Amino acid sequence: MSEALKKPFAGLRVADFAWVGVGPLVSKYLADHGAEVIRIESSTDPETLRRGGPVVGGVPGVDNSGYFANFNSSKYGVTLNLKHPRGPELARQLVAKCDIVTESYTPGIMARYGLDYASLSKDRDDLLMISMPLYGQTGPWGPYMGYGHVLQAASGINHLTGWPEDPPIGTGIAYTDFLVPHIAAIGLIAALDYRRRTGKGQYIDFGQFEAAVHGLGTAVLDWTVNGHNQTRMGNHDIEAAPHNCYRAQDGRYVVIACETEKHWEALKAALGRPEWCDLERMRRRWQRHNEYREIDRHLQFWLDDYTYDPQRPPPDEAPRDPDAPRSGASRPTSWSRISSRSACPAASSRRPRTCSATRSSSTGATTTTSTTP
Amino acid sequence: MASSPVPIPHPSGPLAGYRVLDFSDEKGQLCARFLGELGADVIKVEPPRTGDLTRGRGPFFRGEEGLETSLWWWTMNAGKRSITCQLQLSAGRELVQKLVAQADIVIETCMPPTAADIGLDYATLSAANPGIVVVSITNFGQTGPYRSWQATDMVGAAMGGLMSVTGDPERGPVRILAPQALTQANIQAGVGAMTALYARGVNGGVGQHVDVSMQEAVVNALDHSSPTYDILGIDIFGPGIRRVNNGQLGARYLYEAKDGWVAALQAGHLIGPGANAIIDWLAETGEANGLDAPEWREKLTALVPLSVEDRTRVEETMIAFCRTRMKEDLVREAQARNAGWAPVFSPAEIVESKQLAARDYFVRVNHEDIGESFTYAGAPWKLSETPWAQRGRAPHLGEHNEDVYGELLGLEPADLRRLRMKMVI
Repeated sequence: MSEALKKPFAGLRVADFAWVGVGPLVSKYLADHGAEVIRIESSTDPETLRRGGPVVGGVPGVDNSGYFANFNSSKYGVTLNLKHPRGPELARQLVAKCDIVTESYTPGIMARYGLDYASLSKDRDDLLMISMPLYGQTGPWGPYMGYGHVLQAASGINHLTGWPEDPPIGTGIAYTDFLVPHIAAIGLIAALDYRRRTGKGQYIDFGQFEAAVHGLGTAVLDWTVNGHNQTRMGNHDIEAAPHNCYRAQDGRYVVIACETEKHWEALKAALGRPEWCDLERMRRRWQRHNEYREIDRHLQFWLDDYTYDPQRPPPDEAPRDPDAPRSGASRPTSWSRISSRSACPAASSRRPRTCSATRSSSTGATTTTSTTP
Repeated sequence: MASSPVPIPHPSGPLAGYRVLDFSDEKGQLCARFLGELGADVIKVEPPRTGDLTRGRGPFFRGEEGLETSLWWWTMNAGKRSITCQLQLSAGRELVQKLVAQADIVIETCMPPTAADIGLDYATLSAANPGIVVVSITNFGQTGPYRSWQATDMVGAAMGGLMSVTGDPERGPVRILAPQALTQANIQAGVGAMTALYARGVNGGVGQHVDVSMQEAVVNALDHSSPTYDILGIDIFGPGIRRVNNGQLGARYLYEAKDGWVAALQAGHLIGPGANAIIDWLAETGEANGLDAPEWREKLTALVPLSVEDRTRVEETMIAFCRTRMKEDLVREAQARNAGWAPVFSPAEIVESKQLAARDYFVRVNHEDIGESFTYAGAPWKLSETPWAQRGRAPHLGEHNEDVYGELLGLEPADLRRLRMKMVI
């Protein structure tokens, strides 16, 4: 069906002054869906990500970074020295032929070159522009710099990751760089749709920090309503048990989460209904939550002699025998191995489909993730 | 009847005039809420009496479990309308078909292939309205061997790889307590919904089906993991408190301050082109630990990976420096020296943040039903022409039955009584 349709953003041109993670990902959605996106980079100081590994063939070079390539495919690239006397004027001439401007500089930089929204939209009211620095255009932190790796700290991610009683961990990646671009794009496309219907552009002051706070689940209201400041609790959960990550005999990790009674019943069946499952104190969700330590002991004991078998058929072909816990467990219960590559070979080799949201931000069709030692 | 207190009208939002039917669980409610805050009329459709299952998801207002006290419900469904409709009954499905004819977007999260059982599959919905955009958000997508697998947020984080790049080398993978797999599914579905809505506008009103997998949404959030595996064959695992560069564990980025923790990449920028500014800072206070010697300055700014021994010395210098200082002081001074540090904030500290206060970020939401108001997260976008707006508290179960069924389907109170008695609504 979609084959016959026009790509949604075909005919739109984007002047992309953004750099590193967030901005280039936002403009990549537009590019992947038909927009002509022109990355404008300094001709004297290549953007940070071009120096980032992994590099192809082990040879560093501004055009060899897989990191950069991953976020900037589908785009055109031009260089421009904004510090040259003629630079800003060339940039303005380029913007005059564009529908959208994206940028992620520290507030004030674009204005320094006469590239702020007020200047760029002087003779036209259809220009749509989004600025995406870490903390927004105003406020005492407005000038603060940093990357997604540290913004995740300000945004609560590190505090909420790790084991209780131990220091915060957080992710080993620039996590908010992959949280906030989607949110930015929702607002940007909404404004673009408004422009399509009315001809009116506008300016979007997007602060990455402010978007990231929406990724905190119930943590904000738990504090403002209940006075409970959520904190990291390993792989346990505020509400559910069992809820943990266990180590199998072969060193691989398995997560088991039972959020509903249905999940719990399925797990019991998968385990072969051992006696401890049917104890009175395991009957209700809040009771199990109290007994999480005992549950963890039982499940770890069970997994101590569990080994992952790569020859096992994919889940849909596996026998559905509730009395055979080892083979049947994976089917009805909400648990899985950590590595998507080993656990989910079919899923990891799938190709892009038309207009899948996840694909519009996808960094590629195939590989993913993680090792299990 | 008296006009409902929620949702607050928002005619100036960019999506004003669009209507969204929200049948979703945790995987789609935030997505629908964002569309509502941008102006769309979002109608949450729930089973009669029991209500949406997520009304049972804690934590609860003052710990009291109940249909109207879930903080999950409050957070993710604020500003929507709620109607009840029993999709197990054909009469209920007929009502939905009529609503779909007047809607622009449907968001559903049925486990494949069960959507067809309750009339929420794309074929049925597009028959009722060829322009409808149907966003299906599921654990593993509409196809593939895992499509009927159960999953929770942690399973999504596990099988999407996020727990792997978040683990600790000694203790194994660890989750982020705030549900990131669900968040990623929601926001990426939001981009898909908006893209499909825009596509409809430029393609003569033709809708489409948007297939979103929570697992794939998490995979999209793994930074350089994919090219690192693709190019180097290295599968990132368990960096703990370190940044991963080129598939190798880099310098630690978390340091303990006197009153908490700070995040500071490259050992607080002691390693890298800007290192001299931080070395000077340490030297000014007499805590450079010898790193201000010319040969160290050269080594630290050289862009050549340090030996583990050297890196350890640099990290130990930074550990000792941070330990005696307050985190906000550290961050302010580091920023003044062009180093992008940030404090590790808890949810409470985020709510108290001076930056967010200066930008009037948080909003007060009136819960007139319990006579109180509470602070909610604010605008993710400051749009100059068509603003974002918080649209009031989450709806009570079926609070807008009369409004919606009356306004959209022309049903009279007597009709609704009859439907209620037949357990349709």
